[in-house]
Amino acid sequence: MPNVPVWRRYLRFWGPDVDADVEEELGFHLEMRARDFEAMGMTPDEARRAAQERFGDVERVGGELRDHDRRRARARHRREYMSDLLQDLRYAMRGLVRTPGFTAVAVTTLALGIGATTAIFSVVNGVLLRPLPYPDAGRVAIIWMDNRRMGLHEDIHSWPNYVDLKTQTRSFASMTAYSEGGYNVTGACTSGTCEPQRVPAVRATADLFAVLGVRPLAGRVFRAEEEEQERDAVVVIGHGLWTRMFGADPAAVGRTLRLNGRERTVIGVMPAGFAFPNAETELWVPLVLPPQLKEGRNSFWLWVVGRLRPGVTLESAQADMTALARRLEEQYPGNRDYGVHLVSLPQQVVGPSVRTALWVMLGAVAAVLLIGCANVANLMLSRAAVREREVGVRLALGASRGRLVRQLLTESVLLAALGGALGVALAWAGLRVLTGLAPADIPRLDEVRIDGLVLAVTLVVVVATGILFGLVPALQSSRPDLFEALREGGRGGTAGRVGHRLRRTLAAAQVALVVVLLTGAGLLIRSFLELQQVQLGFRPDHLLTMQLTLPGAKYQQDAQRVAFFDALIERTRTLPGVRGVGAISSIFLSKTPNSTNFTIEGRPASRDVSNAEVPLDAITPDYFRVMGIPLTRGRAFTAQDVVTAPPVVIVNESMARRFWPGEDPLGKRFKYGDLESEAPWTTIVGVVGDMRRTGFDAPVRYETFLPLAQTAYGSMTLVVRTTGEPLSLAPAIRSAVRAIDPDQPVYQVRSMDQLLSEMVAQRRFSMALLGTFAGLALLLGLVGVYGVTSFLVAQRTREVGLRIALGAQPAQLVGMVVRQGMAVAAIGLGVGLVAALAGGRLMSGLLYGVSPADAVTLVAVIGLLVLATLLANYVPARRAARVDPLVALRSE
Amino acid sequence: MTSTTGELLQGTLAILILKALLPGRPTHGYGIARWLEATTDDVLRIEEGSLYPALRRVEDRGWVTSEWGLSENNRRARFYTITPTGRAHLRAEGAVWLRYAAAVTRVLHAAPALA
Repeated sequence: MPNVPVWRRYLRFWGPDVDADVEEELGFHLEMRARDFEAMGMTPDEARRAAQERFGDVERVGGELRDHDRRRARARHRREYMSDLLQDLRYAMRGLVRTPGFTAVAVTTLALGIGATTAIFSVVNGVLLRPLPYPDAGRVAIIWMDNRRMGLHEDIHSWPNYVDLKTQTRSFASMTAYSEGGYNVTGACTSGTCEPQRVPAVRATADLFAVLGVRPLAGRVFRAEEEEQERDAVVVIGHGLWTRMFGADPAAVGRTLRLNGRERTVIGVMPAGFAFPNAETELWVPLVLPPQLKEGRNSFWLWVVGRLRPGVTLESAQADMTALARRLEEQYPGNRDYGVHLVSLPQQVVGPSVRTALWVMLGAVAAVLLIGCANVANLMLSRAAVREREVGVRLALGASRGRLVRQLLTESVLLAALGGALGVALAWAGLRVLTGLAPADIPRLDEVRIDGLVLAVTLVVVVATGILFGLVPALQSSRPDLFEALREGGRGGTAGRVGHRLRRTLAAAQVALVVVLLTGAGLLIRSFLELQQVQLGFRPDHLLTMQLTLPGAKYQQDAQRVAFFDALIERTRTLPGVRGVGAISSIFLSKTPNSTNFTIEGRPASRDVSNAEVPLDAITPDYFRVMGIPLTRGRAFTAQDVVTAPPVVIVNESMARRFWPGEDPLGKRFKYGDLESEAPWTTIVGVVGDMRRTGFDAPVRYETFLPLAQTAYGSMTLVVRTTGEPLSLAPAIRSAVRAIDPDQPVYQVRSMDQLLSEMVAQRRFSMALLGTFAGLALLLGLVGVYGVTSFLVAQRTREVGLRIALGAQPAQLVGMVVRQGMAVAAIGLGVGLVAALAGGRLMSGLLYGVSPADAVTLVAVIGLLVLATLLANYVPARRAARVDPLVALRSE
Repeated sequence: MTSTTGELLQGTLAILILKALLPGRPTHGYGIARWLEATTDDVLRIEEGSLYPALRRVEDRGWVTSEWGLSENNRRARFYTITPTGRAHLRAEGAVWLRYAAAVTRVLHAAPALA
């Protein structure tokens, strides 16, 4: 048998040396052959040549063998790796099964962290990352009017302004203008609900579809020549409406729908997911320009959207449009202080506050995951300490450190994978709860799901966490001095001073992360409470609200519309359970309400007056009384304020204070529009208290209210003050409406409580979510601190026993242990506070009425954490001090 | 010195190698070449260079194993040993060969006789 030299076996450890082996094998052959030839009488030179000749092409054969051997070495390497991996996995599995308690705690901790991360990331992915259902949506921009007079960056345009922008821009390939509204849809349905329904709609120029780049699923979209009276009797419907009313029948194209009583032919159906500008929009009709608005440079009613020309960036388009707006300002005095502000469609769909909130949530779950990782790392360290002897023996037997680290990492990654699998299940379940609870105004929430990208990210997170919490304990436990580990005997010895420092660092880091999360949650809670303190200016309890929009085709005369609402109020007033009923054109205002400038009688035009714009709201005489809005001066409207009577108006206090300071505004007159406008002078007959009509967190605006009898609006919100539960009255009022006009739909039936709660739903949701994460973080963090202190105390059982035996008081011992633990917590607290102050600034967009460095929040967080960490340190310290010295000393 | 070298079929070379190793003694490549040479009176004078790729192939198929060792003159050399699968393969493949050769022989011996 041939001997294998030891040195070669040693080298084999690094894999075979392919080149040398091939050269040696072939060299041996040639040499032997040459020797035999020499024995037959050739000269050495001849022999060598003959040997080579006999062999053939040595180079070629050598190359072939080298390639082959290299391939083989690689394959074997892979095989060994896989078999090692399998072996490690089996070993890790056995280890985990042997310690079910540890496994359960670790897997649960990781599952919570990974599950929460996966859930929130799916939301981030669905809402922020996944592209909108329009090709190249990032190149579509909303073209806002930057209304510097009102300080509104996102205001809407007049028709002449839109035409100027569209014809003079060099940055946009296409541009469209639209106005939002809704239609009462009746009749012609072939399946499903045939009740009159209110459907949000858009009147747009035909370019809308080119700008968005979407083609209809069936039929066609409208053409530019259809933007004219009489030729505009067409409608493009959304996928949802198509399914609801026509059972998704392709033959729906060509049928007619009655919109506000007028017949329109369905010419096209848009694909599912097409919902512009709002998720609810399901009708698109051609925009027919009302003649009186054609020249109305001061009538702002159009949204404008465009698609950037290829190669033009949003920034350069902004510069171009700003220059264009400046030219228009010079050309038309009425355009003074009107600029242009571009926002890309994706940015517009998901606004900055939702964006910030989502990233904050993602940061929060990542922190929870990190805290969980620290806990598991701690557990792994304790486990490693128990295994120290085993590891020591294996190292002594020649196992390499790399191999051991790999094996320990396999165990931690396996743990992470188990946690990840459970976490994805948790995320799946959690997402259903999450999207169910989420406020409706978080856009694109229906697109949230666990998809391939989410799973891929989760996989990365799993491997990363496995390595994160496993690497340090693995390095730590594979490094002990062999002799020490063996000498320490069976006593599951210390992982050394380094191990202790590591544990303390982990505990401090946990405390720091908890501080950051608690501060964030605290700030949101404070903002929310602050918001609840906002004086709304009316009594919100026991109010029922609902909207009605009278179709113009059916109610052409002003008197018809006034009569309808008069009749409705009359019928409603006498219903049992009704204490009062009024109506207003809209209770709350959007950020861009229909508004106009005004001119005060007998006062020279001044910049601050002509810069102010006020909304025109119509109300019924009882509205303020029903809402509980105080009338501070003058009178409310009466049944005598009719069309034929002199025009009257009521203004709010802010407006009275601002424009008639130190004067009595009663009896003063102003007109809407410029001095030259045809609007009549209206007389102020009353002043009412301010009301927050643009939301809790928006400032009070100047407001004017006109009698419905003099404005004859067709779209009103009915407000009913009830004695009992407001919504229980809804059916009675619906039947009152039906009794007057059976085709008239009622929509947005809500109690005021519901309306208000919807207004703060996003904030409440963010607060609840971050609060949950912070609570979870606190819990995990305390478990971590408790675990570290328990371990450190257990390590010192002997010392403690000795001290007791020497007469130390338990209280002293408890004090000593707690002091040491609190020193660690204090470091974490300090670091956490610094991080929280920095992080708070990032979320300042989510705050209301509190500064990111809110002292109340910070003090509360510090107090809570000091108490909690004291407890987490006290319990193990107390247990240690109760130890029986005899037992402790024997614990060796 | 008849020149029937030509292109020995790959499978044939494998059979020859296995046969050379059949006694079970670990043998290096040169030893196999020498044995073939002696056994065939150098009739099947195989190109020695092709022997080594063939050895790799039979090793890949698990018919032989190799190990480094010291040669009779104390040089490091690679020794090949036949495996049980190698023996089984040789037995099966050898039988096919013998039948084939016998058939060809019968054909060639059939009348009319060769010149």
